Amino acid sequence: MTVALLFVMIISLLLIGVPIAVGLGLSSILFLLLFSDSSLASVAQTLFSAFEGHFTLLAIPFFILASSFMSTGGVAERIIRFSIACVGHLRGGLAIAGVFACMMFAALSGSSPATVVAIGTIVIAAMTKAGYTKEFAAGVICNAGTLGILIPPSIVMVVYAAAVEVSVGRMFLAGVIPGLLAGLMLMTAIYVMARIKNMPKGEWAGWREIGRSFRDASWGLLLIVIIMVGIYGIPGVTGAIFTPTEAAAVASVYAFIVASFIYRDMGPLKTEDGQPNISLFKKPQALITAFFHKDTRDTLFSAGKLTITLMFIIANALILKHVLTEEQIPQQVANAMLGAGLGPIMFLIVVNVILLIGGQFMEPSGLLVIVAPLVFPIAIQLGIDPIHLGIIMVVNMEIGMITPPVGLNLFVTSGVAGMPMMKVVKAALPFLAVLFVFLIMVTYIPFLSTWLPNLMMGPELIIQ
Amino acid sequence: MQGKAKSFTDALEENLIAAILGIMVLITFSNVIARYVFNTNILWALEMTVFLFAWLVLLGVSYCVKIGAHLGVDAITNIVSPRTRRFMGFISAISCLAFTFLMLKGSWDYWANFANLPGTEGRWFPLGFEDNFRGRGWFEVNDIPMIAPLRFMEDIFNEGEAYEKIPRLIPYAIMPISMALLLFRFIQASISLWRGDIEILFASHEAEAAVEEAAKKLEG
Repeated sequence: MTVALLFVMIISLLLIGVPIAVGLGLSSILFLLLFSDSSLASVAQTLFSAFEGHFTLLAIPFFILASSFMSTGGVAERIIRFSIACVGHLRGGLAIAGVFACMMFAALSGSSPATVVAIGTIVIAAMTKAGYTKEFAAGVICNAGTLGILIPPSIVMVVYAAAVEVSVGRMFLAGVIPGLLAGLMLMTAIYVMARIKNMPKGEWAGWREIGRSFRDASWGLLLIVIIMVGIYGIPGVTGAIFTPTEAAAVASVYAFIVASFIYRDMGPLKTEDGQPNISLFKKPQALITAFFHKDTRDTLFSAGKLTITLMFIIANALILKHVLTEEQIPQQVANAMLGAGLGPIMFLIVVNVILLIGGQFMEPSGLLVIVAPLVFPIAIQLGIDPIHLGIIMVVNMEIGMITPPVGLNLFVTSGVAGMPMMKVVKAALPFLAVLFVFLIMVTYIPFLSTWLPNLMMGPELIIQ
Repeated sequence: MQGKAKSFTDALEENLIAAILGIMVLITFSNVIARYVFNTNILWALEMTVFLFAWLVLLGVSYCVKIGAHLGVDAITNIVSPRTRRFMGFISAISCLAFTFLMLKGSWDYWANFANLPGTEGRWFPLGFEDNFRGRGWFEVNDIPMIAPLRFMEDIFNEGEAYEKIPRLIPYAIMPISMALLLFRFIQASISLWRGDIEILFASHEAEAAVEEAAKKLEG
């Protein structure tokens, strides 16, 4: 019963406008001081061990940084040009290209809002110019942007892996097929709508443009190869080259080099609009100055800021998780639910509902840290694969991002497109339906998520 | 943030955040290079990065209060009347102060013994310092080797005995420091809230700044 009190306290604190991290932390502290004999010093220790004891979480700042370099460094424009060259000539082509670009950017970045900002800024404007309605453009990007957390790398997956201690590499692999599938479903839906409503289509620019734009974008896309080959190796040639955390660090260094020395859209070699950027050979001192350039500093700072706010929430959520584990809440919940004769299908529905409701109020990674350990033991008892459970949770987070009141992608899209929030909500609805169908598919067809990781890394062993 | 010139401390804090993150990346990257190119391992790389990570977040938390970058839910605060909003603002300010105050006490208690200092008595409030405690100044980290400029600490915290690795009191020191800074920033924020300069203590979502920038780019 006291635990119900804990959750009531958290929710009321959040609703009256206490920052999420403080709401979680304060409730846990008060609960510990009132109902257990833990000391404040042990709470402080738990806070510090969020960093000291979770090497996995270290990947978060690095993936955020890589994606910041990619967005400021002009990778998005090049990816968009490539995807327009590929599918722009279809009916509704620009919208389909927008989804395709979101999928590619999602494979470079681990965050959905980052994907919406990077792709949406360019594509929404281009679509309205080409004769699409702004609502349609916003709806497409808002939904396609959610793929950012499903297609690896993904920050939310790193958080899930850290919270229930499964392999990050496995989670990333599990996201590949569902990510591609969701993208294809969105594209098909757009194509059908475009056929019915007779939406504009672009010119076929020829194979040459595809080749050229691909060559231009390939520096950015190579990052995907680095991350995937780095974490998994090449079957038959080499084993894994580095850990996911190291892969993320290498990715940020690579993104920095591409942005400042190859694309030169940021840093000392950038010029004002319109002129070609300076070649490195003309200004070799840039090799040194780029590290201290204002653009580099600003990118580092903005990535740092996002890391700080996210990690402060996660660290406090870990305090709450510590409280829950200490009070043996997960076991009690598991016993209660299993005692009530809950089967796997009902259980997955319950998980979906909890996450969909929770996602209305909480930041996704914080919510995962709290909910994952609660439902994990039940899932194991029911024989549900932890990786499969993780993907279900991620897809729920995606949907949470495009449902009001606190759908993150809705805010971002409404800001980027300069549209009122309610209009974006309405615009996103038809595609939300597509994602719902997708959620049901992912929930009840486990091999969508488990086939690839089991193929590449062998079957999952559950040691309990 | 707009229009206001950045003060010296702002620049200092922003540079510090940027620098720590940069160093974390470079250390991890160098370790990969060392492993594949030079066939060796930087033993202390992982532990160092983890501590820097903790420093980055804990130090940055207070600056994020200052620029209002923390995340919260504004669904309710946006629809209530200004008077209710102000009232809710006060409660949330008090909650923040209470949280930080308790965390500050906890952090001090946790850190103090590592620095041969007394923790505080009392469960909720510090009621004086404890008389009996076991100093743990001799406690070292796992991997980061001791460096010469820190040798002076051996006399102070380890009765003159040499440290092989740096003492644990160094990385943990960030706990009380950061919580003290956070308390300071929350007091500042509460005062602005009282005066009516700000209405809530946080940003509503993580990409607020990025969206503003993007909107500016589209207009310009």
